[in-house]
Amino acid sequence: MSNYKSESLLFVLSGVILLMVSCSGGSCFEETESYLKASFYKNSVRTAPDTLSLSGLNVDSTIYLKVLKVQPALIPLNASSPNSVFIITVNGVSDTIKAIYTNYPHLISKQCGYTFYHHLDTIIPLSHFHLIKRIEYINRTITNLNVENIHIHY
Amino acid sequence: MWRTFTYIISLLFLLGCCLTPVEAQDTIPIPLKIRIGVEASGPAIYFTNKNVLNEEVFLAVDLDEKKSAFLSAGYLNYKYSQYNYQYLNKGSFLRIGMDFNLLKPDKSQGKYFAGVGLRYGISRFTSEAPFIEKLNYWGTTTTSLASRTYWGHFIEFSPGIRTEIFNNVSLGWSVSMRMLLYSGTGKDLRPVNFPGFGDGTKTISTAMSYFIVINIPYKKIKAVLKKDAPEETDDSKDTGTSGNNSQSGGIRH
Repeated sequence: MSNYKSESLLFVLSGVILLMVSCSGGSCFEETESYLKASFYKNSVRTAPDTLSLSGLNVDSTIYLKVLKVQPALIPLNASSPNSVFIITVNGVSDTIKAIYTNYPHLISKQCGYTFYHHLDTIIPLSHFHLIKRIEYINRTITNLNVENIHIHY
Repeated sequence: MWRTFTYIISLLFLLGCCLTPVEAQDTIPIPLKIRIGVEASGPAIYFTNKNVLNEEVFLAVDLDEKKSAFLSAGYLNYKYSQYNYQYLNKGSFLRIGMDFNLLKPDKSQGKYFAGVGLRYGISRFTSEAPFIEKLNYWGTTTTSLASRTYWGHFIEFSPGIRTEIFNNVSLGWSVSMRMLLYSGTGKDLRPVNFPGFGDGTKTISTAMSYFIVINIPYKKIKAVLKKDAPEETDDSKDTGTSGNNSQSGGIRH
């Protein structure tokens, strides 16, 4: 009888110990930003610009300000709007471009919450291109993953 | 989805057939039982956190000394909020499958269980995110996701143990490893908590379950015991060897 009781106690205690070790909290360790990832190409060769400046039109702060050898550029899109306008300056020459896209929410994890993914439709110049020769679309789905979206040939 | 369901159930029964003992020499009386149980950790967690209510009851019927048919039903009411979003999920779920007791009948005696459960689960739930906020270079974007109803399903492998602590009252626990087959929501809006499964943002989830069980004996069977193979003794080895020798000798003559 005592053997029976001790075996039962052992069974129950093993479960309690498992409960104690199984409780764990959580933090957000994943990338939460979805950037348009743009790599730079000069004469079809992957070439980081000597300096890059990038800012949103009518936004006070800059994304990049004369930053050396950026490759790729991580460009945040406005999730409240179906388009974002940027002023991009490479090696002192500027262009104004407009990215047109659709936004949709994506749950990253319980700890991180939601971010916005985008489906890129097109990127157009607001005036003639001075700097950019052409834009090559690699992957139109813009996520928090490290996947290139466009190649900027300059 | 129903085709998958039928396939999994057929597979479970097929597995059950394969575990039937083939060779037997002795028998032991084993009471077959109907088990009615409740999952105990859900209400305990709700006592400390009113945002998560998970209740589950199950019915298991012993088919023989090794196998039990298992059916459970549960309910989840889940609320979660943090600085950048709020999430609500309400739903119910069913699990159906088999339990396989790996203990020998003379060890289990109809009281002890140490084995595995294989189950198929299906959930119906409504998911909603009343508040989502995201801050980036352009400022703050806020949105919400309206309440929508979804169906999803999963499979589960549950090793566990159970023991009778009083007459016809058992306690037990299991570690459930679950694989999500279909969340119903698409890959972008997976549920933060999937009823019966757990973290819906992941394909694999693990969970601990604790059960309080009432056992109702309904039949007694004589379970067959496989006799352990007798150990070879030195005498028998010697006998065999000498027999071979004499036979060989006989051929030579």
